[in-house]
Amino acid sequence: MYVDFQHIIKTIILGIFASFFIMLHSSGDILKYVNPKYEYISKIAMVIFICLFLIQIFRILQKKKRAGHVCTSGCDHDHHGNGVLSLRKVFGYSIIAFPMVTGFTFEPATLNAKIAGNKGLFAQISKGNEDPSEKPSLTENAESLTEKENIDIYSEEYNPIPNNNYMSEEELDDKKKLLQASETIEMREDIFGSYYGSINKAPQDYIGRKIKMSGFVFKEEGFTSDQLVLSRFMITHCLADASVLGFLTQFEEASIFEEDTWLEMEGVLDVTTYDGYEMPIIKATSWKVIDEPAEPYVFPVITLLQ
Amino acid sequence: MQYTHMAAPKKTFMLLLFIICCIFLGPLFMSDQFSMEAFQQLNTIFLSIIIEAIPFVLIGVLIAGFIQIFVTEEHIRKWIPKSKMKAVWVSCIAGSLFPACECGIVPIVRRLVGKGVPLYAGVGFLLTGPLINPIVILSTYMAFGNDMKMALLRMGVGFLAALTIALLVSWLFQTNQLKHKEHFHTHDTAAKQPFFQRLKNMLHHSIDEFFDMSKYLILGAFVAAALQTFVSAQSLLLFGDSIFHSTIIMMALAYFLSLCSEADAFIGASFRNLFPSTSILAFLIYGPMIDLKNTIMLLNVFKAKFVFLLLFLITVIVFIFVHLTTFI
Repeated sequence: MYVDFQHIIKTIILGIFASFFIMLHSSGDILKYVNPKYEYISKIAMVIFICLFLIQIFRILQKKKRAGHVCTSGCDHDHHGNGVLSLRKVFGYSIIAFPMVTGFTFEPATLNAKIAGNKGLFAQISKGNEDPSEKPSLTENAESLTEKENIDIYSEEYNPIPNNNYMSEEELDDKKKLLQASETIEMREDIFGSYYGSINKAPQDYIGRKIKMSGFVFKEEGFTSDQLVLSRFMITHCLADASVLGFLTQFEEASIFEEDTWLEMEGVLDVTTYDGYEMPIIKATSWKVIDEPAEPYVFPVITLLQ
Repeated sequence: MQYTHMAAPKKTFMLLLFIICCIFLGPLFMSDQFSMEAFQQLNTIFLSIIIEAIPFVLIGVLIAGFIQIFVTEEHIRKWIPKSKMKAVWVSCIAGSLFPACECGIVPIVRRLVGKGVPLYAGVGFLLTGPLINPIVILSTYMAFGNDMKMALLRMGVGFLAALTIALLVSWLFQTNQLKHKEHFHTHDTAAKQPFFQRLKNMLHHSIDEFFDMSKYLILGAFVAAALQTFVSAQSLLLFGDSIFHSTIIMMALAYFLSLCSEADAFIGASFRNLFPSTSILAFLIYGPMIDLKNTIMLLNVFKAKFVFLLLFLITVIVFIFVHLTTFI
């Protein structure tokens, strides 16, 4: 009997990957990493990892002369074990193990104002593109993301899960009517992206309307002391594609609030120009500091296929 | 044993990548920007990319394993016709139907060319194999907000670029450009084995492929997450915000990140509020055709002069073709 050391390492790593995915799904932390619509495909990945792990276990105890191992092409994988564990291989395995180490060690963090600043909410708009269609401003971006998400390939095959942002066409229509008709525009999580897009598209139409929203504070260089941005991150797929949906907000006490403070705010919409660009602004009337919500991100609306 | 000499370039590559990471990321970690909080942000984005991409990588390695065991190169070689033009077309189409990643395809192409498949057909196959296949298309479709436009452009423009490059190669090179005159002996015993043995072999291949591929994905995800955490959008635009500049930046990123084509769509998509779609298209087409790790593998198989000329051709052709899309 011959035990291949590399097969043991591979078995351990596959086992860790499998348990990481099991942990993500059982704790619900998966929603802190990716858009909930990836839950299903990620569960498939979990099952594949478990299968591969089980198969790999049996590979540890193989006879040295690998009967029946076929290499149909000059495959350069490391699977001709040979038991020699070179420095290069150790380096390779540690790269693969690295995300699992950090994944188990650290709690998932919520994206903060620093990241929002890097994304450059207003920098992008004020950059002065000669061709706006080439580089969409954030507002257009948000709108188009929401629109594009309207059809989802999973919606036919699977039932919506509670946290998933599925809506029927009627529901979405109702919500959109509510945006026009309601006394106060309530920026709820499920419709945030859609409302945000509409308001930014035609800020003039909403002047004088009451608005209620919650979000985190972030500030950019060049803001006056009574200005801050109250924003949410919208996650289309994973955190890497997070876009900042934020309203410029104005009230005297704005300077008290540090970045990353969560506020619930009511105010009146108005229009302002920032670096020559017209954008909505909230004149805050009341606000209170709140805890970071359990679901800090908003997701684009997905309507069910009829 | 032909496998042993793969070790040297891989070592060189790892070393190169390590040095590049140190040069680019080192200062960021040492600067005052770095804090535990920043690292946790980075780590969360990093894991997020991996968690999202890994299901696609898994599906990719399962298919690759299947092809490896159940389809022989003989099948593909039989379809290559005698005429140059036809052969280029057929090889590009065969590559489009053949799901492989850019690291997996190099050894296959070496074997094909060694067995007598013309070099230009090998190149066509090499370029379209990783670029156009169902998984890449599906992941591109999903990464760009379930929008077919980017996936279609990636397929269409990529295919035309691959055709052009393969044709140019057919005019420029007459010999097979292989570094070593390798003697390929067939050991395709696969067909004679019982089904379950083959299924087992397929899964073993998939596991090894997973370990081979995920290294590059993880490194790429880490670099991408670090860029997002420490580098603001504005500073990237400092290089110049013209469309040419941003395309060059995206192509350089594609080359150095060396992402697997199954997952690069997600990383490409994460740049879409920074760069115009033309530049992102360049990223999506250029990356699967050639990148750092691929170059090193090719250098191991083909003569250096050929590899560098191929690298040059791919860069120029993709750059031109991508910018032609703005006129559509």
